[in-house]
Amino acid sequence: MNLCAQCKGKGLCGRSKCPVTSRFHAAVSMKPMDAYMGEAPSVFVGSRGFPRMSAGPLLTGEPDSPKEWLRRGYSIDDIVGVRARTIRGNTGLASVQDALCEVALSAVPVDVEARFHSPIRFDLTFDGTLAPVGMKGALKTISVLDNAKPERPVDRVTSDYDLRTADAVRLLYGEGIDEHRITQLLSAGLLGVKRHAVPTRWAITAVDEMLSAGLRAQISHAPPLDAIRLYSAELFANRIIILMIPGQWRFEMIEQWEKQSIWAPETETILADGEKGTKNGYSPIAGAYYSARLGIAEHLARIGRSASVLVIRRIRGEYWAPLGTWVIREAVRRAIQENPEPVESLDAGVARICQIMGSGKWLNYSTLIPGIRTQKTLFDFALKL
Amino acid sequence: MLKADIDADIFRETIDVISALVPECRLHVGESGIRTRAVDTANVAMVSIELSADAFNSFVATEAELGIDIAKMKNILGMMGKGDVLKMELPDEGHKLELAFGGYKYSVTLLDVNTIRKDPNPPTINLPGKAVLSGASLNNAVKAAAVISDKIALGIDPDAGIFYMEAEGDTDHIRLDLGGDDLISLEAAQARSLFSLDYLKDMGKVMSRAEKVEVHLGIDHPVKFSFAIAEGNGQVEYLLAPRIEAD
Repeated sequence: MNLCAQCKGKGLCGRSKCPVTSRFHAAVSMKPMDAYMGEAPSVFVGSRGFPRMSAGPLLTGEPDSPKEWLRRGYSIDDIVGVRARTIRGNTGLASVQDALCEVALSAVPVDVEARFHSPIRFDLTFDGTLAPVGMKGALKTISVLDNAKPERPVDRVTSDYDLRTADAVRLLYGEGIDEHRITQLLSAGLLGVKRHAVPTRWAITAVDEMLSAGLRAQISHAPPLDAIRLYSAELFANRIIILMIPGQWRFEMIEQWEKQSIWAPETETILADGEKGTKNGYSPIAGAYYSARLGIAEHLARIGRSASVLVIRRIRGEYWAPLGTWVIREAVRRAIQENPEPVESLDAGVARICQIMGSGKWLNYSTLIPGIRTQKTLFDFALKL
Repeated sequence: MLKADIDADIFRETIDVISALVPECRLHVGESGIRTRAVDTANVAMVSIELSADAFNSFVATEAELGIDIAKMKNILGMMGKGDVLKMELPDEGHKLELAFGGYKYSVTLLDVNTIRKDPNPPTINLPGKAVLSGASLNNAVKAAAVISDKIALGIDPDAGIFYMEAEGDTDHIRLDLGGDDLISLEAAQARSLFSLDYLKDMGKVMSRAEKVEVHLGIDHPVKFSFAIAEGNGQVEYLLAPRIEAD
């Protein structure tokens, strides 16, 4: 198996810099500056060196929320451009904790004044889970000039020190707070009983996981879906195909990195992972698995039906920069918004997927499909309801 | 209307039997006892359970259909200690089931029965082979097979007079032959069917407590497990659809 496809820039190969992501470095020119005054829309907590993480606000006057980027119809280049111009203020966690909380709490970006030890340098970093960030500057001082303006539910939940993190996350989500915001709050250490900052990358997956776990409990009580449904959509050269099969909650994801795509420069790589009931261990597909599952689980919970779901993600070479797992979450949502293609049987669904994918290789990696194909039901033996 | 006293362990076992397959069910209450029958979401497995009034210390009831959230019930019963007595009470036309044990008093809102799938009519299937063995050895075989595979074949070899289980993993193979003294009895007829271990694992855990389990088998047909609970005052039947052998 291709290690890069599993690692996605985490550093599993032991090199100090990821050779795949480092080739983006030359792409942007930098202008030296050692102070910043303006908006800070979000926070970033690094996972390196945990529990002694470094952290800081992200400094940019441009929109920072994935939903906003999509609404404006940004392309991959636009998003990488926005992020390349974003400065990541960076220092020890303890010295910025208060500022982080203010920045994360506020629904609208707060104004900050930051000074750096030395002129900021260009350091565009990518990994599979996070959106990329361009400049990095070691913070000397930071002061928040505005008062944070949180949404009402956010204000209430973050002031409640008896509310457990998972409950807090579900409550906020139920109030319609977007998961990007929830991730920010979790990352800055504003949720839960025993609060502490959480590396942003982990917070993204943790929020996906906590939300899906709650939705899964609802789905397990729901009656099965009425018919097989096939959805498909593409976002930033990520083709997402979803096959929902009436039955109990099962989830499987297959990720096919085409040759020449970012994590599979030399050979095509296919990863697969799935779950029956509950998930054990961390997925080899990494954050994308949890993001895709959230998109599916929220749909099934909304329509009040249970299903076994196969999600296939096929990544073409045009997805030249990994933008973060929100791409998958949004692609799944986008696919489900479309009308499903009519599929008469499981075999017809599989055949249609092979047609979209241009090959049937993915099928060898699936355990869900053969499992359903070979399992007879009691209806085959004259059960009547 | 329902008013009953029951030993905590017996009721817990009853709930465990159902929760192995479904998270909720329609519980039929009548003068002679309680019963339910339910099929899992994927229509692959069915459970039927009957608990006669004799299983209760005291039992008074009129015909009623109760929507029970089995998953919630299981959590509540987890609070009960060994030897506790559970008092259940449901007034006429009531929607809250009162559960009292060890000083606790729960009032559990019943589910609307219309939101729960209707009871299935059990299929009539002719299963010629029958092996009777202890629930513990059946469960052990299931656990052994689960280590290497996700499916298991159950069969009877009438010539050798054995009941066997066989599982094939990607690289490994396991086989267990039970004959003679290992079995309580055997009605030999050619039989072999393949089953999903996902289901058998959950069922096996429940069956492991039964002294004897009747295993009814056919060729590429469902398996029927039947066993007694509550010291013979309750009867359980599991029906599980087979898988077909992959080519």
